[in-house]
Amino acid sequence: MPAIRIDNLAKTYRGGWWKKSGVAALRGLSLEVREGEVFGFLGPNGAGKTTTIHLLLDLMRPTSGAAYVFDRPAGDATVRRRLGYLPESVNLHDYRSGRGLLEFYAALTGIPSAARAARIDRLLALLKLEEAADRSVTKYSKGMLQRLGFAQALLHEPDLIILDEPTSSLDPVGRKEFRDILLELKRQGKTVFISSHILSEVESVCDRVAILAKGELVRVGTLQELSAPKSTKLVVRGVRDALIDALAATSAELSLARGEATIKCSDEATRTAVERLVAEHQAIIERTEIETQSLEDIFFSAIANKKEP
Amino acid sequence: MKIILLIAADSIRALLHQRLLIGLMIIALALIAIFSAILVGERKMVTQNAAAVSAANAASDESAAGGADAAASANAGNPKAPAKKVTLSKEDRQKMAEAMDQMSSMFQTGFYAVASFGGSLVSLFIFSTAIAAEIRKGTIRITLTKPVSRTQFLLGKYLGGVAVMAGYALIASAAIILFTRFNRLELSPAMEFAPWLMFCRQLMLGALAMLLSLFVHPFVASVLAFLAGNGLYGHHNPLFYLFPSYQPFSSIGQILQGTLMSGHDVLLLTLYAADFIVLMMLLALWRFHTKELV
Repeated sequence: MPAIRIDNLAKTYRGGWWKKSGVAALRGLSLEVREGEVFGFLGPNGAGKTTTIHLLLDLMRPTSGAAYVFDRPAGDATVRRRLGYLPESVNLHDYRSGRGLLEFYAALTGIPSAARAARIDRLLALLKLEEAADRSVTKYSKGMLQRLGFAQALLHEPDLIILDEPTSSLDPVGRKEFRDILLELKRQGKTVFISSHILSEVESVCDRVAILAKGELVRVGTLQELSAPKSTKLVVRGVRDALIDALAATSAELSLARGEATIKCSDEATRTAVERLVAEHQAIIERTEIETQSLEDIFFSAIANKKEP
Repeated sequence: MKIILLIAADSIRALLHQRLLIGLMIIALALIAIFSAILVGERKMVTQNAAAVSAANAASDESAAGGADAAASANAGNPKAPAKKVTLSKEDRQKMAEAMDQMSSMFQTGFYAVASFGGSLVSLFIFSTAIAAEIRKGTIRITLTKPVSRTQFLLGKYLGGVAVMAGYALIASAAIILFTRFNRLELSPAMEFAPWLMFCRQLMLGALAMLLSLFVHPFVASVLAFLAGNGLYGHHNPLFYLFPSYQPFSSIGQILQGTLMSGHDVLLLTLYAADFIVLMMLLALWRFHTKELV
């Protein structure tokens, strides 16, 4: 059973009554997030990431399509016992203390009163909020609010945690601590759906990623699946003039130094051709270096392809 | 039900932290106090006037009595002469009692009018912002991702407002009872049901304001809710049963005239209010379920 299933989801924001057409934020998105995986949801601003999350949480109604959480429709209140959510900007009731807010949310999620205090204390300690726990949230910094928001998302030990730009207000130390918590959640087998701009963060924890641009899904898969080799470098010994002439006819780039030739092949076909020529001219391939794409490369190439008409 | 009560309790907590609401309540109660003080002064004046009129009457009676009393009249200018005790005639006492009754009715009418208007403002503020402010601030996003249905959220918010308005009606009732007792005034018979009808009217107003706030800005919703049913239709007009009508809930005329509405009428009005509130809540639920909350 997938933790999240999105079927052909579309959302068009209506213009004012005087405008004829609206703005299409999401165009037929289909996606599955498996149970127990950490799933990165990437895309530039305005790609439709937050809209997708709002539709998943039933805070918005789709124009068409449907979203399911643990095979139940997104609007089902019972499924929310298994779901924790951290919004991009954490807005909390300003008439309570940090601890008071967690107590309120604990009561709403049905945590037995006997277990509440211990669980709240544990989370306050985990997110370094013990000292500020009894302070009004109006006196919290942005980073502290983000931590408190994270605490409420984890409070009822949900199976699925949806995080929308979770580290946007955290300092580098906070980000590191956050990453450690994510890894611990991953170890516990929780499903995490994380939308983020910080690619290095996603790269280090996510099992799979999806890249969204202009409301459409551009790429989805594991990092290995997405990171096709960028180029291959062959370091060849015993290169003669005849081989150099033969290589000139290919698209490979050749550079000579200290009796060795470095041949850079930009694709698989060139590499095969070069390897054949090297064998024919009885030269020796000393070593092969494969350059892979980083998540950043994948991200930018996906976005660039989307921008092309 | 537990979730609805939790939301209602949270709503009360939020409302008690609202400076504007507390301010409105304080202003309403302060107006009542000022009004009471003015009437205390008026009451003294009525007593003094009645005594002066009585004294003047007594003096004219004495002068008409002739020579035997002339010597006594001459002594009136003598400071050492014992002050003559003014005793009110039966007729004067009756006149004064009537004036006091009128004063009492006027006082209670004024008190009720201020409490009712103040309560209406408080009610409009509470109910028009109950959900709209949560959507505007974004706090609803976290609450509704807990196992809380939109129905539970809306009913909890309304219930929280009802509790605060009940508190207001109790305070206003206690204030008028204490004041009338303190000033030895007779409580108007209409005051038996007036606070209850005021409470019903404010809940109707609130239900309509809450519904409208899901379509338009809370301020506009409040103005529309206030204007919507202020005495436009009578009992015999079919529109009375379709659109809100707050007029029959006003006890001002009865307090002024010293009449009492029958229990049957009060029951009918209560049922009308309940019917109206249920209808408004159903419409609000429909709107809230289709509304985008971001």
